[in-house]
Amino acid sequence: MTKRRMFLRMITASLLRRRSRMLVALLSIGIGATILSGLVTIYYDVPRQMGAQFRNYGANMIFVSADGTSLDAEKTAEALSLIPKEKILGATPYRYTSAQMVRNQLSFVAAGTDFEQVQATSPYFMVDGAYPSASRQVLLGKEVAKTIGAKLNSMVEISWKPSVTEASGDTELKPGAYLAGSAEGFNSALVYVTLKLGDDLSIAEMTVNADSQTAEFGGRCAEESFTKQFIGKLIPLTAGTDVDAMTGATVTSQAVVDAVNKARPTENAQAATGNSLSLQVTGILDTGGDEEQYIFLSLSDMEALTGEQDRFDVMELSVSASAEELEEYVSQITDKSGSVSARLVKRVTRSEAAVLTKLQSLVFLVTAVVLLLTMICVSTTMMAVVTERRKEIGLRKALGASDSSIRLEFLGEGIFLGALGGLLGSVLGFGFAQVVSVNVFGSSIQFQPLLLPLTVAVSMLIAALSCMLPIKRAVQIDPALVLKGE
Amino acid sequence: MDIRAEGISRRYFRRTGEANYFEAVCRTDFTVEAGKVTVLLGRSGSGKTTLLHMLAGLLTPTGGKIFLGDTDLYSLEDKALSEIRNKRIGVIPQGRSVIDTLTVLENILLPAALYGGESRGQEALEWMKKLDIAHLADSRPTELSGGELRRVAIVRALAGKPEVILADEPTGDLDDENTALVLSALRDAARDGAAVLLVTHEGEAKQYADEVWRMNAGTLTREERN
Repeated sequence: MTKRRMFLRMITASLLRRRSRMLVALLSIGIGATILSGLVTIYYDVPRQMGAQFRNYGANMIFVSADGTSLDAEKTAEALSLIPKEKILGATPYRYTSAQMVRNQLSFVAAGTDFEQVQATSPYFMVDGAYPSASRQVLLGKEVAKTIGAKLNSMVEISWKPSVTEASGDTELKPGAYLAGSAEGFNSALVYVTLKLGDDLSIAEMTVNADSQTAEFGGRCAEESFTKQFIGKLIPLTAGTDVDAMTGATVTSQAVVDAVNKARPTENAQAATGNSLSLQVTGILDTGGDEEQYIFLSLSDMEALTGEQDRFDVMELSVSASAEELEEYVSQITDKSGSVSARLVKRVTRSEAAVLTKLQSLVFLVTAVVLLLTMICVSTTMMAVVTERRKEIGLRKALGASDSSIRLEFLGEGIFLGALGGLLGSVLGFGFAQVVSVNVFGSSIQFQPLLLPLTVAVSMLIAALSCMLPIKRAVQIDPALVLKGE
Repeated sequence: MDIRAEGISRRYFRRTGEANYFEAVCRTDFTVEAGKVTVLLGRSGSGKTTLLHMLAGLLTPTGGKIFLGDTDLYSLEDKALSEIRNKRIGVIPQGRSVIDTLTVLENILLPAALYGGESRGQEALEWMKKLDIAHLADSRPTELSGGELRRVAIVRALAGKPEVILADEPTGDLDDENTALVLSALRDAARDGAAVLLVTHEGEAKQYADEVWRMNAGTLTREERN
């Protein structure tokens, strides 16, 4: 009989002889490995699972213009392409402007957006009715609907007037250009002017919107008798010198002059003159936040209203990625895209990271405790085996077995049990993780092939460590005492 | 090869009693010569087994040295001492000394298997035949009688052709016929050059002895032979 055969024979004989004990040890390693493999699977899957859950709480990244103006659609698309497509759950452009309800002249924030994307980036929006799906439809914030008394499916007419801030960035005056401007008049209400320049850059046409002023005084500044004074004159103008103030409306007259002097070129006549649209209310938005004070319309309606194309103020993104990945995307976009500035919604990303860290720490802690318990159980079992085999160990020492060979044998037994338990645990662990995942997160998980060797290796290590104390005890057995029958 | 004890003693420490230790073996010089059967007689508790265990490399003396040839046994590392125990010393322990999970033959070949040296199967079989246990080769120890188990232990010690054979009450469980068989087997081993120590409290072994020593309360005296 060779040394190796005898070694194997001793191990198998010992395992078989103490079947019930070995079964207990195997079971505890198996359970330990199951928890290990299961929780490690969950540990690695939690960010993915939770990431998807977290995305229900809204956008975690926003794009704004780097220079404080509006975002260009093309540049935005370029910036967007720096984030892997499969990670982007939604990217919603918003174009904000101020619009008035024609019926009661109340001003609200109007937001042009892509409703399909809104549902992806803001899944928490609660809409009574439905999101607009065709043009000339509008989603009203709850507060807006309440203020103007709008009901579902009713029609509302909104108007938009250009203001200096609405005008494009080009400040150079050109022949034939349309200009728009506004200034504060009586009671700080805005007065709007729209101008068209002639070939010599003097004012060729002019309209004034003084609806916000008192009709019988300031309101009269919109009349031709007042506006004709401006025709043929070059900007800037001085009140009193170039233009006479309207009697009883000095403040409004000054405001019109200010508005003319502040007027900036706009893209077209419509952008300069303002516009109005009749829209059907398809839904009323309830968010509990500021959105309830907004009017939401489609981008195409927004374009029809303002005449401006392919411009947004902000883009909200919902990106399914870890905090590190998000930071990486942000720095890439900052590096490569000059005009688009990407920012993380820190409130969302931070709380996500905090929850994940806590959850992962918990999983780690539970795994550690279970492995410790496994070690204690295996160690106790092996200690009992050593006690049972005390006589045999003593005899083998007397026959010439060295301490190292005794060590090796027990270690062999432990590692064998560890490998077997690890294999068992890998299979059961996947099942365990699957059950947890389906019940807790409501989605299944993928099998990680690397986890099999890892679980087996860790189980073997745990089993080997568990054997350290029993092995020490075995080596300490005094053959002389055993042979004397003590 | 001779095995020689030089001034060895073994103290056992106690927690109770007048003295806090007692000396099982006191500063003893003793040699088991190669080619001879040395019989060590003495009453139970006189320190015989303690002396045998110290000679076998199983129990470290509290004083003195043990030499196998020129090798000081207890100056060796565990590994080297274990190998000497395995290859050069054959111990026949008192009482039951088999592993129940192995067959009789496996038990007998266990010392050889521990070091993976040459198989001692042939010698083992011859000794088994001599001691009338060849037919039990594949049996389990639990199926054997006390006398049969004793002979298994003796064959296990002899099969390795050790230079030193240390037998502790080898005939304890045996009938007269088997006692004679065993004692003559041990004498044959000595004739082949082994140093044989036979520890017993029975006088019967004397007739096979080349030397007889008597132990009393840890002290040895040599009996003069006529």
